Amino acid sequence: MRTKLVTSVLCSAVLLLIASLPAAAHHAFGSEFDANAPVLIKGKIVKIEWVNPHTWIHVETTKPDGTTEIWMFEGGSPNTLLRRGVNKTTFPAGTEVIIDGYQARDHSEKRANARNITFTDGRKIFLGSTGTGAPDPEKFPATQEPPK
Amino acid sequence: MRKKIEIVGLTVLMLWTILSAAQLTQNPGQGYKPPRTVDGHPDLNGTYDLATITPLVRQFTTQRALTDEQAAKAEAMIMKERKDGDAPLSPDRPAPPKGNGDQDIPARYRIASGNVGGYNSFWIDPGWKINVVNGEKRSSIIVDPPDGHLPKMTPEGMQRLASLGFLPRSDTRESNDPGLDRTPGAYDDPERRPPAERCLLGFGSTSGPPALPVLYDNLHQIVQTPQSIMILTEMVHDVRTVRMNAQHLPKNIRLWLGDSVGHWEGDTLVVDTTNFSNKTRFYGSSENLHVVERFTRTGPKTLLYQFTIEDPATWATPWSGEYTWPATDSHIYEYACHEGNYAMTDILKGARERERTTAKTENNK
Amino acid sequence: MTAKILVSCLVLVAATMVFAGQTPKQRSPRPHRNHPDLNGIWEAMNEADYDLEAHTARPAMAVRPGPYGPVPAAPVLALGAVGAVPPSLGVVEGGEIPYKPEALAQKKKNQENWLTGDPEIRCYLPGVPRATYIAQPFRIFQNNTQIFFAYQFAGAVRNIYLKDPGPAPVDSWMGQSVGHWEGNTLVVDVTGMNDQTWFDRAGDFHSDALHVVERYTLKNRDIISYEATIEDPNVFTRPWKISMPLYRRQEKNAQLLDFKCVEFVEELMYGKYRKKPLD
Repeated sequence: MRTKLVTSVLCSAVLLLIASLPAAAHHAFGSEFDANAPVLIKGKIVKIEWVNPHTWIHVETTKPDGTTEIWMFEGGSPNTLLRRGVNKTTFPAGTEVIIDGYQARDHSEKRANARNITFTDGRKIFLGSTGTGAPDPEKFPATQEPPK
Repeated sequence: MRKKIEIVGLTVLMLWTILSAAQLTQNPGQGYKPPRTVDGHPDLNGTYDLATITPLVRQFTTQRALTDEQAAKAEAMIMKERKDGDAPLSPDRPAPPKGNGDQDIPARYRIASGNVGGYNSFWIDPGWKINVVNGEKRSSIIVDPPDGHLPKMTPEGMQRLASLGFLPRSDTRESNDPGLDRTPGAYDDPERRPPAERCLLGFGSTSGPPALPVLYDNLHQIVQTPQSIMILTEMVHDVRTVRMNAQHLPKNIRLWLGDSVGHWEGDTLVVDTTNFSNKTRFYGSSENLHVVERFTRTGPKTLLYQFTIEDPATWATPWSGEYTWPATDSHIYEYACHEGNYAMTDILKGARERERTTAKTENNK
Repeated sequence: MTAKILVSCLVLVAATMVFAGQTPKQRSPRPHRNHPDLNGIWEAMNEADYDLEAHTARPAMAVRPGPYGPVPAAPVLALGAVGAVPPSLGVVEGGEIPYKPEALAQKKKNQENWLTGDPEIRCYLPGVPRATYIAQPFRIFQNNTQIFFAYQFAGAVRNIYLKDPGPAPVDSWMGQSVGHWEGNTLVVDVTGMNDQTWFDRAGDFHSDALHVVERYTLKNRDIISYEATIEDPNVFTRPWKISMPLYRRQEKNAQLLDFKCVEFVEELMYGKYRKKPLD
């Protein structure tokens, strides 16, 4: 009985503690992008603008009628990726990707948020590629060890 | 015999005096003796990564210290979410659903602003560990009031906030941005947007003072000279110059990050900041905000960061927080925000587009 | 006898402990044991940001043909003499910037489109070397292990790596700076710059192949002799050099203040997207 109480107190404390952790939702998306205009684009990277506050990934896709068009997808800040070894040559033009997201409210713009970016096999693109994968979460980051 | 007693007595006295003198200097550094700069002060130079999963405000637990199991559970939860977030998706996945792009995000991460989904986890770096101070695994950064919460706002503070409607604050976090429908006028002008969206300051008071951890780009760099100490925040390449042993600027000169002057109290750097602009509004504060920070090396790779916030026009009592900054070998990269701020144009255009659509729908009724 | 020695030791130790914590009142020791001390607030005092090359005064930075010669363009007309360009004997060694012919044509186009083309107008980061001579002060922080430059204009910053971190992973506005000492000169090698900045308000520009080597030599306590060698095989026929003195700001309370000009250009850049545009 007592163990159960302790366990449930512990669990609720932990769960509720985590409830306050920084959320992963994006800012101002309600204004910038249209939740009623989902997109999924399969194509080749044409260029990546490694800029802040958002990386912009330009993807050329072939439409059913055979013509091509270029979409711009908004990602996050590149700095975290640069610290993990990504650089401007990591994803050369021609890299094939699948990106899903929601289109900018101004539908004349071929822009969307990069809700998910994967390779054609479904792997998230900034992970698992040769030599540039995210660090093993178990070991990352070494400097966050509490002082002994 | 008497002589021997005298010698022993004096030796003891000498040792006691030496030890006491050592204690006279403030010692939150737990006895750690840091390397020193040429002018004899602790060397604070370096780059630090402020990311931590310990929140600013304590949530639902009353204890300042978490047990080892509580902390381990929290860290394991974050690791699991990270691993889940890194997991591959189906290459045959359909376009996301209309109207609800947050469905595959844990419920507690969703907010109503737009439902268009968040960042993939590889973009963010919010920390992996509960923060440890003085051997305690901390449940919150705030330690005073002792319940880990902000003190009550004064009636004046509340009235000020209510009368101004929602005006942008320096502590706005990416996840705290109001949704499109919540606050009228929030998208009318660029000046209504949070300073971080305008690329004037970093999100969540990362520029400080006080400097708080945010979702990513938590790196800070300290460059120390005898006359001035520079603190750089990665977002938005903000520099705070702490002028040592100097006077504050005249009252009519106001700065976004305030005016910082510093002095040493033993091995602790004490930084006093006033002269905030009335646009900073850290947590809704007035321009009379007064922040005192303390920087103390606690180990070869750690620095203890403490702060006290005072604004009698906003809070009934001062409030204080502390957390450990671990040193890092990682580099700070350029965060040229305004130069690439397509988002600001799209946010405003999007709001205008939405208004046009709403107006059209109403006209057609 | 031993007691007396012990007492003296005690007094000596106690005195040392008391005095150890005090900051010396006189001028602090040089933070950099073997090198000149560049710490402080510095500023160029010339017209380089208007135009690196020698030039006579001009009516405005943006002009249009008038009946008897150029006159200020309409958008800057109201500024009158405040908008005019002061004269200068230039800072380019040898006089002219050695443009390739097609690049010179681009420079002329830049001049004609100055109002929409000059990144300084939009409060974009000025790049190197423009940050040095843009007409606002900057501060050098220097100690044994770190060197850092903070500019008042747009809060631009440069960390000077003293250990080469390898090629910059991506291009940036202020580039990647790697510094070393050659005798009394701080030499800073800057690479990894994007092609977005201009050198001045006269349309002088570069590509992302830009490579700049700066030399800071302390001539005396209040003057740095500054040189920058500029190389860009896409734009220039050969490397070229600019040089100028940098002056220490003499005011006792000299310090950088806010010039967060992003705020000042919001009306220019986003005004038409307001719910109620002003015009």
